[in-house]
Amino acid sequence: MTKLVEWLVGVTVILVAWAVVSFDLLELRLPDTYREVAWPMPLYLLVSFGCYSLATVGYRVATFNDCDEAARELQEQIKEAKEDLRKKGLKM
Amino acid sequence: MATGVDQAVGMSLVVFSLVLFTYYSVWVIVLPFVARDHVLHNYFLPREYSVILPGVAAIIVLICIGAFAAIVLWKNRKPKKMD
Repeated sequence: MTKLVEWLVGVTVILVAWAVVSFDLLELRLPDTYREVAWPMPLYLLVSFGCYSLATVGYRVATFNDCDEAARELQEQIKEAKEDLRKKGLKM
Repeated sequence: MATGVDQAVGMSLVVFSLVLFTYYSVWVIVLPFVARDHVLHNYFLPREYSVILPGVAAIIVLICIGAFAAIVLWKNRKPKKMD
């Protein structure tokens, strides 16, 4: 049972459950409010996944550490490299 | 910790997504259980829009991505060499 088959089985089960509740395929005659909540569920899950992704990206942008020392070290190395190349004849 | 603009942008993204998630959750899940004449319904559009608006937003995002890809590919096209 590969991972792909596992995922497909899981997705199919959830999809069938959703279809049965939303479109009343088994004539269960659930109360209307439950059907009204169930049928936008795939879209709702997609929107909440999008919100979660956006929040994660935003949070990690806000908490990403500035590395002052590494920045200075990099500038030094750039200067050294430029000197070195100029000595070897590369015109900048 | 990141400084200045980075923090502001990051935090505003977090707040925006939280607000969006809460509003959409109330719209889709809470509202059907609330009585028809409750004042809460005044703050929400009719329920059809809870499906139409994300659909339109998704289409706009796809169009933007497609346009960006088209522009990049157009700029990088190289004429064929005649050998």
